Amino acid sequence: MRIARWALARIGSALLVVWVVTTIVFFALRASGDPLEAILGGPGSQAGEEAVAVARETYGLDQPLLWQYLLLLGRVGTLQLGDSYARRQPVIDLIAAQLPSTLLLATLALALAWALALCGAIIARTSRGPAGRAVTASLRGAEIVATVMPQFWLGAVLILVFASTLGVLPATSSGADPAGLVLPVVTLAIPIAGFLAQIMRDSLAEADAAPFAVTARARGASDTRLLLHHTLRHASLPALALSGWAYGSLLSGAVVVETLFARPGLGRLLIDGAMQRDVPLVIGAVVVVALVYVVVLVIGDALELLVDPRLRRRTRTIVRQADVAVGA
Amino acid sequence: MHRALFTPRGRILSVLAVGTAAALALAACAAPDAPAAQDGGTLVYASGDAEPTCLDPHVGGNYPQALISTQYLEPLVGRDADGEITPWLATDWTVSDDGLTWDFTLRDDVTFTDGTPLDADAVKVNIEHLQNPDTGSSTGYLAVAKVAEVEAVDATHARFHLSAPDSALLESLSQQWTAIESPAGIARGTDENCAAPIGTGPFLVDEWVPQQQVTLVRNDDYNTPDAGTENDGPAHLNTIEWRFIPDAATRWAALQSGEVNVIDNPQPDAIVAAEQSDDIAHIDAPRPGSSNRIELNSGQAPFDDVRVREAFIRAADPEPGIESLYLGTVTRSTSPLASTEPVAISDDALFETDAAAAAALLDEAGWTEDASGVRSKDGKPLTVRFPVSTNQSVAAEQSLFEQIQANAAAVGFDVVLTPMDLSSWYGALGANEYEAVSAPYTKVGPDVLRILYHSDGIVPAPSGYFANHAQLSDPALDALLDAASATSDADERADLYAQAQEIILASYTVLPLYDQQNHFLTRGVTGVRTLGTVATPTFVDARLDG
Repeated sequence: MRIARWALARIGSALLVVWVVTTIVFFALRASGDPLEAILGGPGSQAGEEAVAVARETYGLDQPLLWQYLLLLGRVGTLQLGDSYARRQPVIDLIAAQLPSTLLLATLALALAWALALCGAIIARTSRGPAGRAVTASLRGAEIVATVMPQFWLGAVLILVFASTLGVLPATSSGADPAGLVLPVVTLAIPIAGFLAQIMRDSLAEADAAPFAVTARARGASDTRLLLHHTLRHASLPALALSGWAYGSLLSGAVVVETLFARPGLGRLLIDGAMQRDVPLVIGAVVVVALVYVVVLVIGDALELLVDPRLRRRTRTIVRQADVAVGA
Repeated sequence: MHRALFTPRGRILSVLAVGTAAALALAACAAPDAPAAQDGGTLVYASGDAEPTCLDPHVGGNYPQALISTQYLEPLVGRDADGEITPWLATDWTVSDDGLTWDFTLRDDVTFTDGTPLDADAVKVNIEHLQNPDTGSSTGYLAVAKVAEVEAVDATHARFHLSAPDSALLESLSQQWTAIESPAGIARGTDENCAAPIGTGPFLVDEWVPQQQVTLVRNDDYNTPDAGTENDGPAHLNTIEWRFIPDAATRWAALQSGEVNVIDNPQPDAIVAAEQSDDIAHIDAPRPGSSNRIELNSGQAPFDDVRVREAFIRAADPEPGIESLYLGTVTRSTSPLASTEPVAISDDALFETDAAAAAALLDEAGWTEDASGVRSKDGKPLTVRFPVSTNQSVAAEQSLFEQIQANAAAVGFDVVLTPMDLSSWYGALGANEYEAVSAPYTKVGPDVLRILYHSDGIVPAPSGYFANHAQLSDPALDALLDAASATSDADERADLYAQAQEIILASYTVLPLYDQQNHFLTRGVTGVRTLGTVATPTFVDARLDG
């Protein structure tokens, strides 16, 4: 019953997301220019009257805008993404060719962000004394700097240092080449790492002060044991809950990073499509990104269930306020 | 091979390799015929231009397509650095006295890379392909607009029947956008032909992985070098990897780190650094056709008044900005044509800066100044809408426009710069929502003047596009351009185009800035040169350093 309601809610939100993005993209693209030129060979097209008339009819551009919008919703609803105006290939093929590259980039970036955030939180937690306070303070500073760092700037600096000056890493990245992946992944991961680290450090400190931690210490558990078996698990829950959102943000960051590092992927496809007013391509790419986002949220929910046994045990209410009871 | 450079061990290996190569090169000095650079290998080209959606330059027809198609498609005729037309796939041509019939003699020993022979029928199919509305050609379509029909007289003789004399026909046919493709390739249909056009060039399209690269492999049967090529057989390189790196700084970093051998569209600072560097070479190859210039829309107020146009041009003062923003890498032009066009004329006196004269002209024209600093007339402010295409105007050019904006503001113009993507920009021009615009146009030969300044160019194509952004409508100018297009006498043609340029410049609708910038930086490769046609690079003679 709960599973069914949960699934319904997820599917409902997925449909809502897809509908909203489709609507926004359709009207934004149509408001700012005519897709006809994408069909007829790009801006400045010299296509004749006849070709224009044929294209208008073939692509339904002679219909009222609202009707075109409804037709589009119908197609998206049945997952018929159609053919790209500019490339004349099925949108689904174009996306399928680029999606793995973007997923690889975003997944590696999320993994790196988590690793960095965990390291930061653990270092902050285990640093004691005046020196430790200094370490914690500088970590806090680094987190804030990382969070607000624009990716296009960070990426350019990394390229300048590691490719132009030191020459140890390539400035561009094509596909799954490990050396080429380093700079894009780091560029994409750092802002998210700063964000996750802040949350994890706070919740680790909170878990550390919770009655169950005090009890565990009183029972003689070592710091390491306490960290690994008790507090870290608690501390990772809020970060886990936000990882779905973080992944979405990584997918949008991929637009910048892929362009900067000349990496193939959905982000670059999206940019090219938008520049060319290629309505089916842009809408297809955005719908697929929205679907990926929803899938990631579902995976995030599942991981939360795995890490937090209380969610599995309680059948009626999902409340995570029971720390006192656990400790006492 | 370039990838090994990124690991420390790869670096040592590459040092060893360079050392060994140097030793071999020294040894080679003793043996006179041995080449210093190696044959074979893969050259990596990184383009900053947008990735084409179709590799066939007949479809649409933009500069990125010209760049890459130079490697696999060749035109009927070439053009040398002096602007002289040279034989290429056609060895000879004659024109009838009335200028309406052109006879081309084709080479009889050429086959396309699919084995189809090059013959007169192939030429006919190509012109028909360009003129077929379904192809969606825009540049090539305009270039062959006066060709009524191509008649295949016999295998090696193609006769062009023209609807009107066209002195620019050879120049038009020298462009990459009218290059000759295999008729069997064209017959496969647009989709397949876009993915891998088939030509006679030194390379052929092996694989296109969109967003990543186009792989071009050597045409081992290549036998059609143009007049400027040293090599008379197949290219030295095995492969060209053609990549798209949109970010200029990344492209430059990739060249410095050895990931790529050639980049285009470098920033001015990279050009300056390359000039000072020992291992990076710089090729400066301005595009033919128009210069980069700002055009003032004379079709509507306020620039329908020549005094207001002259005031803007006297006040703009672009020269200091050009010098500082481009770090001395470009030269000011005062011609509507590229400096590479032999018939181009300049008139520096028309473009001398004089803010006081500009203010006086505006006073005279009835535009009065008030406390806001912006002049007005009959309650209307002196506003100049200036849409800027961010695709075509690089950062330095956009900054230059801002300086011009400030200079013009000093005498009371309110210049509104609006950065736009290409589609929106064309939209704004099509809707006549501009008073000033910079719209470079690339075409071989002075006939570009007819496209840009003949009153016919005000009539929009069905897509809304028109080329005469200055909206010059002058019967005397039209007559000169028509006569220049019709004459078959080279001297008369040059004289007519000179007169036409004088009228255009004196109309104060054009503020020339500089040549259409087109630079290439190369590293670890020799023998790269650009064609005398649309200034695209060719790699027939290119060799990677040993």
